[in-house]
Amino acid sequence: MKSFGAGVMSNSIPEIRDLDFMFVIGSNTTEAHPIIAMEMKVARQRGARLIVADPRKIWLTEYADLHLQLKPGTDVWLVNAMMKAIIDEGLVDQKFIDTHTEGWPELKANLAKFNLTDAERITGVPAAHIKAAAVEYAKTRKAAIYYTLGITEHAHGTDNIFSLANLVMMTGHLGVPFGGLNSLRGQNNVQGATDAGATPLYYTGFQPAGDPAIRAKFEAAWKTELTAGVGKNLNEIMKGVEDGSVKALYVMGEDILISEPNTNHLEHGVKELEFLIHQDIFMNETTKHAHVVFPGANFAEKDGVFTNTDRRVQRVRKAVNPPGNARPDWQILADFARAAGYAMPHYKDAGEIYAEIASLAPRYAGISHDRLDETPMGIQWPCPAPDHPGTQYMHKDGPVKGKGTFIVTNFRPPVELPDKDYPFNLATGRVLYHYNAGTQTRRDSGTMAKVGECFIEVHAEDAKQLGVNDGDMVKVVSRRGGIKAKVWVSGRVQKGCVWMPLHFTEAAINKLTIDVGDPLAGTAEYKVCAVNLIPLRERAAAQAEAELQAVRHPQA
Amino acid sequence: MIDHFTITVDGKPVAAKPGETVVRACEREGIHIPTLCDDKRLDPAGACRACLVEVDGQRRLQPSCAWKATPGQVVKTHVTSPRVQRHQDVLVSLYMADHKLDAEGLPVETENRNELRRWALDTNPIALESVEAPRVARAGDTNPYIQYNPELCILCARCTRYCDEIEAVNAITLTHRGSETTIGTAGMRGLLETSCELCGGCIDTCPTGALIEKKAIGILPQQIERKVRTTCNYCGVGCQMDLNVAKVDGVEKVVRVTSPPPGETVNDGNLCIKGRFAYDFIHHKDRITEPMIRKADGKLHAVSWDEALKFAAEGMKRVAQRHGPESMGFISSARCTGEENFLMSKVARAAFKSGNVHSCAAT
Ligand code: SF4
Ligand code: SF4
Ligand code: FES
Repeated sequence: MKSFGAGVMSNSIPEIRDLDFMFVIGSNTTEAHPIIAMEMKVARQRGARLIVADPRKIWLTEYADLHLQLKPGTDVWLVNAMMKAIIDEGLVDQKFIDTHTEGWPELKANLAKFNLTDAERITGVPAAHIKAAAVEYAKTRKAAIYYTLGITEHAHGTDNIFSLANLVMMTGHLGVPFGGLNSLRGQNNVQGATDAGATPLYYTGFQPAGDPAIRAKFEAAWKTELTAGVGKNLNEIMKGVEDGSVKALYVMGEDILISEPNTNHLEHGVKELEFLIHQDIFMNETTKHAHVVFPGANFAEKDGVFTNTDRRVQRVRKAVNPPGNARPDWQILADFARAAGYAMPHYKDAGEIYAEIASLAPRYAGISHDRLDETPMGIQWPCPAPDHPGTQYMHKDGPVKGKGTFIVTNFRPPVELPDKDYPFNLATGRVLYHYNAGTQTRRDSGTMAKVGECFIEVHAEDAKQLGVNDGDMVKVVSRRGGIKAKVWVSGRVQKGCVWMPLHFTEAAINKLTIDVGDPLAGTAEYKVCAVNLIPLRERAAAQAEAELQAVRHPQA
Repeated sequence: MIDHFTITVDGKPVAAKPGETVVRACEREGIHIPTLCDDKRLDPAGACRACLVEVDGQRRLQPSCAWKATPGQVVKTHVTSPRVQRHQDVLVSLYMADHKLDAEGLPVETENRNELRRWALDTNPIALESVEAPRVARAGDTNPYIQYNPELCILCARCTRYCDEIEAVNAITLTHRGSETTIGTAGMRGLLETSCELCGGCIDTCPTGALIEKKAIGILPQQIERKVRTTCNYCGVGCQMDLNVAKVDGVEKVVRVTSPPPGETVNDGNLCIKGRFAYDFIHHKDRITEPMIRKADGKLHAVSWDEALKFAAEGMKRVAQRHGPESMGFISSARCTGEENFLMSKVARAAFKSGNVHSCAAT
């Protein structure tokens, strides 16, 4: 990360219960990271204070001392106003700023325009609350910030994160236990996938792909020439599929037709691909267009490691055999590379692959399967040597990149705002009981008993105006497509805002959303888009209900 | 500040930390004191009286799960104290009078484990007449995961305390009075109609198997061939869990998921609904079991691995030759392991000279 290096959780999960103050922004923690939320609740019961900033009322707001219910997409304003308040109250940590950072004068000058009065008008959060949150954060030593998807999946998600990083640095909450800026990563191994080098920006271990010396090191290890420079990111690859410039895809373990935004265009592009390999455990929308299907193994059927959100490398261990002729994915990849003429080593197990990773990436050099087997708590990177204990919290001796950089951020409205034709602000997210596209959790009776169908949360006054009640079917339409969902009149969303979970294929939310990527991170604007709701009546509603039923009880 | 001191237990020196209870200090030293209501995640309740010990200078026996160790303290457990032994024999008999017993008159074995059974085997219980307490379960609770068997409940309140102190939703609580006291909910509604998040923590903490997982009914501990410690494959918390493997129709399968003991792992013995219960997908009938290629008829056909690999490699190479590495995309997955993501980047970069590799990491 540009601010102070490594866009990860700077601190650790086990620290949470001993915190005195938690600021959670854009993270529906109880539903997306239940066990972290549990630690937060334990901290609360031990007397820690909790402030939650989220456009919706979420479960965590019930435990919060203060809920800053900001208007969607106004995070930058909120955080900048907090910083301004901290300056005005004389609560900056000048010593930290002087020793460890650069760019403070510019930031300070820019903050002049973020006064509390305007902040209240733009974010909808009372000025007194913004100030209270700011002052308490700045004054409390054991104070940490948590954020997640809510904030990173905006087209200007990186601005939000830079703002938070500024807040952390100006108050000196970095490089200490019980503090830091903590990004809660969504999937089990999001961190590990990037760590391993499945990103166009880096080779394994965040070693820049554009650096010739790094490339030379990998060329020597892999005994082949490698292309210079940085490749396409996910968003660009998908754009390439849509415009026909990408002609072949190898997709492992994902359903790109569900998980990627603006799926209508993409589906057309995928159909036109000259070659598509899909490797997965279940058939899905992507499989329908594949030329080759490789049956992979799930986590219970193979060995390896996952890296969790606090940089903790932990073992995945094989308990049972994959079904039929399915194979561990690492074996398939190695076999495929050899079939394609590349001399991939004959790895005898996943531990050997990890040894190769450790030999190439200094920050994992001290980690091995053997060592992990002796460490039930896992090992947190950086871990540069076999006798290094791992890193509970980062930036201990100042920001890892040398000096932390204050990056000036300014408010940019979301790419698509509600208007006359599409008057509602749609946000999407997770519920506790399902996981992403739901291919696994939708195969379990209990998770389905709790939340079994696609719903849309609508504010009571909006529902009244639309003339819909709880349980009515509506068609949710954006400029890009439409899907059906059941209305849930909820006190959780603000007026003018609606919210849907993203786990139901039949309702493929991503048909609605925009694929404007964040210019820096390559993430798509899942979060905010403008929609209209069209009530479906009588026959239409009955038919939609029947469709939902069919999906819910496929065998019946 | 001293960071540890010594107490004496059954004549032996035992290290203890300030603020620590006697039972925690003994545990570290490998000294076993029977407990029922104790769970190190919860505030001590001192409710079940199983852990009573003699403490020098105290007239009454004291609960070691709540009693704080102090420097120089002298403690006797059942090993050296006849008084503690007598107490245990009587107490275990009382518990057994209100518990389901097997043909040999011992507390029954359960799917979870039954601490009472283990304890009865270590003591000399006296046969008492059964009290047959009129404790009831919630009739008509249709939740798919959690079953409550009142005749196995010893009212240690670990489940309700867990639900309050750790999960913090207070879905279950002690209800009714006197001998009817039971684990209930507001209005005795089913769990699906309460604030319950189906985390299963109550099952995990229950010492007698009064709470068990519905999906694992009938699978007793001795049928479990092994428990394999692994990392949850759902969210980024990275909870550690134990996959319990048993033979089902001659095939080894994951038949349940349990959490590691508290204090050992990052999740401190806790799991959420997904980690603990959503494992049906592992052996689901919809799994893809054969490699397949699309043939001239436009349909996917199962083929051998050799054929599929060859077909795939040729297909990708053809595109690479025709349109160059820029026309290729390699999408890997945050669901797969680090090693697999590494190999995907190596396949893209080394085998196809393409930098277009990314994991679906936006979520
Ligand atoms: S499953 Fe969890 S939330 Fe539900 S009653 Fe048990 S402890 Fe409480
Ligand atoms: S058990 Fe729940 S909280 Fe823990 S890693 Fe799995 S999904 Fe996340
Ligand atoms: S374990 Fe000490 S009183 Fe129950």
